[in-house]
Amino acid sequence: MEKPFILHMLTTAKNLSPFDVNMAMDAGWVSAIPYTNIEASEVEGLVQDAIFSRSSKNLKRTSIFIGGRDTKQAMDMLKIAKRSMIPPFEVSVFADPSGAFTTAAGMVAAVERELIQKFSTTLEGKNILVLAGTGPVGQAAAVIAAKAGANVRIIGRQLEKAQYTADLCNAEFGEGKTNILAGVDTDKVEHIKTADIVFATGAAGIELLSAELIASAPQLKVAADVNAVPPAGISGIDAMSNGSPIIGSISGAVGIGALAIGNVKYQAQNLLLKRMINCEKPVYLHFEHAFEVAREYIKSTQVKSFS
Amino acid sequence: MKRSILHMLDPMPNNSPFDINMALDAGFDVLMPYNNVKLESVHGLTQDAIFSRSSAGIKRTGLFIGGRNLGLAIDMFNAAKQAMVPPFAISVFADPSGAFTTAAALVACVERELRDKHGKELAGCKAVVFGGTGPVGVATGIIASLAGADTTIVDHLYLDTAVDMAAQYNRRFGCTLKAAVASFDKDKIELLKDVDVIFCTAKAGIQVLNATILKEVTQLKVAGDVNAVPPAGIEGIERGDVGTPLIHATHCKAVGVGALAVGNVKYQVQHALLASMLETEKPIYLDFRDAFVKAQELLK
Repeated sequence: MEKPFILHMLTTAKNLSPFDVNMAMDAGWVSAIPYTNIEASEVEGLVQDAIFSRSSKNLKRTSIFIGGRDTKQAMDMLKIAKRSMIPPFEVSVFADPSGAFTTAAGMVAAVERELIQKFSTTLEGKNILVLAGTGPVGQAAAVIAAKAGANVRIIGRQLEKAQYTADLCNAEFGEGKTNILAGVDTDKVEHIKTADIVFATGAAGIELLSAELIASAPQLKVAADVNAVPPAGISGIDAMSNGSPIIGSISGAVGIGALAIGNVKYQAQNLLLKRMINCEKPVYLHFEHAFEVAREYIKSTQVKSFS
Repeated sequence: MKRSILHMLDPMPNNSPFDINMALDAGFDVLMPYNNVKLESVHGLTQDAIFSRSSAGIKRTGLFIGGRNLGLAIDMFNAAKQAMVPPFAISVFADPSGAFTTAAALVACVERELRDKHGKELAGCKAVVFGGTGPVGVATGIIASLAGADTTIVDHLYLDTAVDMAAQYNRRFGCTLKAAVASFDKDKIELLKDVDVIFCTAKAGIQVLNATILKEVTQLKVAGDVNAVPPAGIEGIERGDVGTPLIHATHCKAVGVGALAVGNVKYQVQHALLASMLETEKPIYLDFRDAFVKAQELLK
């Protein structure tokens, strides 16, 4: 008899995100079991508990999801989990703290699509501002874009915190291939003059980029906003925007709103959760893989729309 | 037919993923974790579980008790049993840290080798349990002692820990555990002088007995190791060993049983006991004693 699919869902928070639970069930996991308030030191024990109760054949139907709210913690836990496997007793692991990896991947992939379609260019060499970029989505978006060749600057209210986040991203997630910079919110007026792309990854209900700033951005091409709650994080972009022109932009920039990003994010998370079900060998998934599948998804929709 | 539900009570902040896999694989449709459960909550939780289904429905409802503390698990097990209001009663299975089923499998595997290779029974043998104050170690000690072996549980740091444990479980289950401490090679050599059976239940990845110690033992007949993470708890034992000669024990004809061999029986025992909760007509109450009987049956 085929064994049921079990996803062991670990989080450092006191509860799982119901979003992730729905996603896991819809991707085909039969049982999603929560493990809450997990510390990094507990991961090895939990992993080894999980791998030794099924044969290697049925371990293919067992995986681990790492949630929580902190990017570095989640990546550390992913590394520990991977290290704790005792081949052939090993299972797939997918880290997506706060859904930030897939959200960031969805955003960057949607922006890349607009660059290609509307501006016949790519992320390579573009100047990107990540506004309110010290949170999990900002961090992941910064790293994904930087790895794709963009010049990324994380903007925060305090320069110190923005600098700390940029350093963390370079040291922990960039594998020495990124040089993410930091900037302070009050210098936005300057930075916007050379910005090609803006990611707004702030908390709901805070305007991060005003109409005046947009009007003073001579080379802005795409702006994306993950905030779905009015007022929008970027003036002129509503949640439904999906490549529509931003009114008041002197450079013909287009906007991508939260629902358009959310759609790609949803697909990316779904695809990664399914990949764990379908893979022959264990896989260890994080923001990079999220970007990979977000790009694939976008490609597949384009093929459909052309045909 | 109603879906089967296993309510999984755990005094710890989280359940064991091992038990989760096992419960689902044994055929339960829905697993419900209950964490940070206190002993005094067990009565209420049990009665909540029995009164919301008809007598046909409660046959498809079970209670599992996990955690890391054997005494607490047994107290919770008893509290759950006492909370039943026949005909509103459901099956209960206690297996804290999987310790009952692991210990049952370990003792049964060693018992079989003792019989097959040396023509001996546990009764009349001298046994030592390293890692003897952990959950698997204590359960191993209790089962071996109740089976008649003169059994000592060993702590690697404090004699008091072992003495307290032995006293507590002797009182609870009427076994006759002795206590010892062994931190260094010379302590272990001294302790193993006239020992017939070694159970190694120390922490994963820790080598308790090295070749130097094993060269000194003279009476040893069977050694069992539950550590599946290299290095083995007993040097020279391979994970898959079943009655394989212990190469470093050069002064006796001892054989070893490795972690995967024990794990395989443990797996079958836990699976069978979980499945029996779904098959039974009348509620059943399962602890380490049932686990040991099942393990012996499987090895016959």
